[in-house]
Amino acid sequence: MKRSLIAATALVAFSTASFAQDVAQKDSKWFTDALAKIQEMSIRQPITAKAKNVILFTADGNGVGTNYATRLFVGQQKGGLGEEYVLPYEQFPNLALVKTYNTNAQTPDSAPTASAMNTGVKSKFSTINVSENAVASDCSTLAGNELTTFAELMEKAGKSVGVISTARITHATPAAVYVNTVDRDWEDNTGIPEDCAQKDIADQLAEAMKSGRVDVAMGGGRRHFFPTDVTDEEGKGGKRTDGRNLIEELKGSGAQYAWDEESFKALTTGNNAPIIGLFESSHMKYEHDRTGEPSIAEMTEAAIKAMAGNENGYYLVVEAGRVDHANHDGNLHRTLTDGAAFAEAVALADQLTNDEDTLIIVTADHEHAIAFNGYCGRGSPITGLCYEIDDAGEKHLDTLNMADDGKPYTVAGFLNGPGAVLVKGEDEKFTAPEGRQTVTQEEATDPDYIQQAMIPLSSETHSGEDVAVYAKGPWAHLFDGTVEQNYIFHVMNHAVNAQ
Amino acid sequence: MDRRVFLTGLVCFAGVAPAEAGDETIRLRNFYNKDQSFSDYAVSMQGTRVAVSGFMAPPLKADSQFFVLTSRPMAVCPFCETSADWPDDILAVYTKRVFDVAPFNVPIVTHGTLELGTYKDPETGFVSRVRIVNAIYDRS
Repeated sequence: MKRSLIAATALVAFSTASFAQDVAQKDSKWFTDALAKIQEMSIRQPITAKAKNVILFTADGNGVGTNYATRLFVGQQKGGLGEEYVLPYEQFPNLALVKTYNTNAQTPDSAPTASAMNTGVKSKFSTINVSENAVASDCSTLAGNELTTFAELMEKAGKSVGVISTARITHATPAAVYVNTVDRDWEDNTGIPEDCAQKDIADQLAEAMKSGRVDVAMGGGRRHFFPTDVTDEEGKGGKRTDGRNLIEELKGSGAQYAWDEESFKALTTGNNAPIIGLFESSHMKYEHDRTGEPSIAEMTEAAIKAMAGNENGYYLVVEAGRVDHANHDGNLHRTLTDGAAFAEAVALADQLTNDEDTLIIVTADHEHAIAFNGYCGRGSPITGLCYEIDDAGEKHLDTLNMADDGKPYTVAGFLNGPGAVLVKGEDEKFTAPEGRQTVTQEEATDPDYIQQAMIPLSSETHSGEDVAVYAKGPWAHLFDGTVEQNYIFHVMNHAVNAQ
Repeated sequence: MDRRVFLTGLVCFAGVAPAEAGDETIRLRNFYNKDQSFSDYAVSMQGTRVAVSGFMAPPLKADSQFFVLTSRPMAVCPFCETSADWPDDILAVYTKRVFDVAPFNVPIVTHGTLELGTYKDPETGFVSRVRIVNAIYDRS
């Protein structure tokens, strides 16, 4: 704190000096806006009270590059050129860059990255909340390597625990709130080896809810909670082969259950009954396609209201799981519409909480193989083609930049994925005999467009590039510089235990 | 709420007299309203020849006369992975002849007669809401 006060003093001095200088650009909005920012920063004080509540937002796959695209997309949707826009969490006072690698992987997987945030240590690819000594998918290495989770600590501290995801609630990121598993894919009993005593992920969630360690869980993944011979409300079969219906078990233990928008709205809060919402057989819908199920913002609001009655506070994890999925598909439009929905959820949570007692952290688990072309003029559509820069004005010209092959190109693309320009021929060779496909602006900005990619892969990959962490509230100022991903746990743990 | 109904559908090849194919190439999404009910357009085009753009999901087997058309590339076949996360807007395509498989990420246009309504294929058990039959396809 002392250091930040010294820094603030220096900034005030600098600011004053700037005002005193008679520079030619002193009336420019760029100049005056920056001076105002200096004023704001120079009086900023860290919050050092104990955090009552912690909300950890993760947009899966929303690294610095993907987040940049979301910023421009939302800004352009709001009628601006896009570059100038500031996402709600980009206004948070504290920021760090996060190194996301796993102990055995340069390119991270969502399981151990979520595990790092929930346990304070890194671990191996595909594992969740087990130490780095465990071997992925090897059940025999589970015993003795189970890690204590932040949710367990919070439950012991008398706090409520909630978890929300637009992916399956048994998927890697949400599972890290309540599970110990050597394999992220063991979402129901069918994947577990016969001689393995580990409980599957859905079973561990049900157990956590029955025991009171998890109070609210909402997302997709209904199929992992009931048997194959049972049909759900939407006519879909279950996956379990052990005959157990975990939804009925939870209802029998007093939980409220929602499966669609109507039953979601009928949920009641304030009665301390656990809430299980399973809104799809598999993942929830992309925001672009969403119908008949709540938005991520609506689920966030419901969870906060359900847990706000606990005078000891709560720990809530909210994941926008499908930012990642759309990136894997190479479909930037759905990446960004889900990213926009995520930003709305963060803004709503911020409105519903108090900076003095609630630490809000916004981050991603990893980045993707997304990349950006140049040189595009201001306002070039972030999902579309790159326009030329107007030397005399601000907004782009109406002429498109052309590559050396005489064809236009999109602002954003992927290094690999289904949009690869090389396609498999009948001879099994990957070629592009007619070169890259020619794309129009209308085609490129279509919601179903797949951005062009270089290396052919059926599913675009993650990348090891850094992600950002944005934070506000008690001890948010502990985020600074470049940090390891497992450090996020330690900031949360420090904030809730500060004296 | 759901909707993610899987396609297929054998259906009457015989007795369907194809109308003239229209000039317009449409998208799968043109068949649905936001709530996944059939659009007025889909209803109006039922029984007529349509041209639909999309991608061929990898078929189960070679020498087939059936494939699934998707709006975006899907690298997995509908029968090979029971837990595949299929989007709602997919189309069952029953072809006139055994067809050559197109790579999953190459855009194609299918031409055929539009069929609406839930149908369970007695051979595969696959359930479809929308099909086109007597179909051919071109790379777009």
